Amino acid sequence: MFFKPNFLLLDYAIRSLMRRFGKSFFIFFILSLLIFVLASVLMIADAIKLELNTTLKTLPQITLQRFIAGKQSDVPLERVEALLDIEGISAVTPRVWGYYYFKPAGVNFSIVGIDAYEEQYSATLSTLTQRFDIKLLEKENGMIIGEGVQKILSENYYTEFFNFITSEGKWQRVHIAGVFHSDLALESNDLIILPKKLAYAIFGMDKSKATDIIVKVANVKEIPTIVQKINERYPDMRAITQDDIRVSYQNIFDYKSGFFLALFSICAFAFFIIIYDKTSGLSSEEKKEIGILKAIGWSSDDILKEKFYESFTLSLSAFFVGITCSLFYVYALQASFLRNLFMGYSALKPSFALPFSVDVSMLILLFLLSVPIYIAATLIPAWRASTLDADEVMR
Amino acid sequence: MSLTPEIIALLTLDTIFLFFGVIAFFLSFRLALYWNNDASTPLQYSLTKQSYLVATIIKYIFMLKLPLFLFFIYTCDKLSNIIAGAMCASGVVNSVDFGLYLTLFKLFNLYLFGFWLLLHYADMRCEKLPYTRLKFILFVAFSFPLFVEIGLEIAFFVSLNISKIVSCCGTLFSAASSSYISLLFVVDELLWVGLFYGFFAMSLLAFWLKHNVLILFSNAMFLIFAIIALIVFFSPYVYELPTHRCPFCLLQKDYYYVGYLLYTLLFLGTFYGMGGAMLSLISKEKMRFSKLSVGFNTLYVVIISLYPIVYFIRNGVWL
Repeated sequence: MFFKPNFLLLDYAIRSLMRRFGKSFFIFFILSLLIFVLASVLMIADAIKLELNTTLKTLPQITLQRFIAGKQSDVPLERVEALLDIEGISAVTPRVWGYYYFKPAGVNFSIVGIDAYEEQYSATLSTLTQRFDIKLLEKENGMIIGEGVQKILSENYYTEFFNFITSEGKWQRVHIAGVFHSDLALESNDLIILPKKLAYAIFGMDKSKATDIIVKVANVKEIPTIVQKINERYPDMRAITQDDIRVSYQNIFDYKSGFFLALFSICAFAFFIIIYDKTSGLSSEEKKEIGILKAIGWSSDDILKEKFYESFTLSLSAFFVGITCSLFYVYALQASFLRNLFMGYSALKPSFALPFSVDVSMLILLFLLSVPIYIAATLIPAWRASTLDADEVMR
Repeated sequence: MSLTPEIIALLTLDTIFLFFGVIAFFLSFRLALYWNNDASTPLQYSLTKQSYLVATIIKYIFMLKLPLFLFFIYTCDKLSNIIAGAMCASGVVNSVDFGLYLTLFKLFNLYLFGFWLLLHYADMRCEKLPYTRLKFILFVAFSFPLFVEIGLEIAFFVSLNISKIVSCCGTLFSAASSSYISLLFVVDELLWVGLFYGFFAMSLLAFWLKHNVLILFSNAMFLIFAIIALIVFFSPYVYELPTHRCPFCLLQKDYYYVGYLLYTLLFLGTFYGMGGAMLSLISKEKMRFSKLSVGFNTLYVVIISLYPIVYFIRNGVWL
């Protein structure tokens, strides 16, 4: 009814763009570049969010942390037994873990203490306990390290063992018993696994306490009720559920990409002023063209339509080029530069491949942020051009 | 407020609409005052030029508003993931007092702008431009709901508090709710369904009789009762859950996004019905859009009726 595609007019519009190749190409190039940057950032954010959400499933259902005066502190082990009384909880595991700052390389290692006889709370840990003999580790003061840790240590000439400095200032010598690779590199690159006894010694922790407590619940739907019961019994414990973490991931990434978008919009605004300027300034050639068109019977409406076809073709093709380039950049080149925006910096930054995820809604979002805005910038200049009078411009 | 990329996109486009809307408002005000088709003054000459700009701006806004309405609902649906208590767009929409009015205004404006474009289309087809003055007077009137909508939308996203706990659609659309929606559940649901089919039959009859006022009336009533019947009677069959009555959850992935199809059909059908009838009343032209209207409305009725029928065949009981 309102919009019947007119292919002859489209053909004319494309030829008209081609006639002014230099000017069109400049706009096309900048617009593609803008869309490319924007699409890349949103795609990276989406891909990292997807990766985090996959690791989310391997995280414990409920993590209990104890807070004293607003600071996280260790949990007494007697609470573990007491928690088992709550109906619906199928397993409670105290964890001993923390960070060890290795000064020469300026990095933090994540140290996790494990026990041979207890059930492991994550899939990564349980495969590790199957592959390596934990009892042997305890006997020989050994540890298992991630690939990233091995690289850092060997750069500092620790190939066989490593000397931890305990909180009392003593040296604690631990053998490197094995190195592991994991599919989910995010959580394992900076990981050191050693027996709980050693972890207590390195951190200088009280042996009747744990860093935090992991709770496993048989029925997922009962999690909110169980969290409520735990809060009633121990008001100083804070429960973090998988759902809480999911929501905060979403918030962080929405915030990060929103922040970027807010900055981007300034850049886009500047670009559209240029567009406005470029499309307003008609050369005498173009004016003459419009005059001739009008003289041979085109109406203002036809010229407006033709201008619309021009800007739509230009912006839509720039949109496709931008999207294609950013797909290639993000997934084939792994967004080698921009991903740092989201990953933060750390010497032991985990290396992982961005999982492929493109949903239609993101493409719609990108479309709405580019094509209509470009057309808006050309709306008034197009109208100005279309209402030129034939006799005036051909004179 | 939270600035997710979707919200920024919506707000950016709102700003553009506001900018163009203000330009169009002032120009159409001038056009409505001074337009005189018989004059050959410089003023009339420049007004003719400006009328093109206003029409282009309105076309631009309308063409974008169509997909943006769906995008707005989608954004609310996505926000329901991070707002505690919300399970679909209805929770998010109702988390702000005027959220429902915003949605209604959006819908209302689509009908208004669509009608304006129908009039414009009829105007441009006629050499004498008989409705030019009328259409600009109308746009001066129509721009107020547009500005209200933009204002409400900005206020909506500013006051949207993602840490506030909101109600889920299960409580909003139930007899226990204290809002006016609960009144719908007091009346027997068969009455609503009867009215829904009744007005559909009336619109068919009106089409057959080619009676414009009746088409207009029956389509307006059909739209209202279609939505009520959808909430009260049909939605539990879509969800296959007797207690779940919600007009928004239809739009979710779990139900194959069927809501987008259903609402598009319903809105297109009633729009062509009402707009076409209104146009024929004004211009006494032949009815051109009624066929489309009947087609879309029938398709809607068939699809929505299939849900309870298929449910009954498969399970042998009504919900």
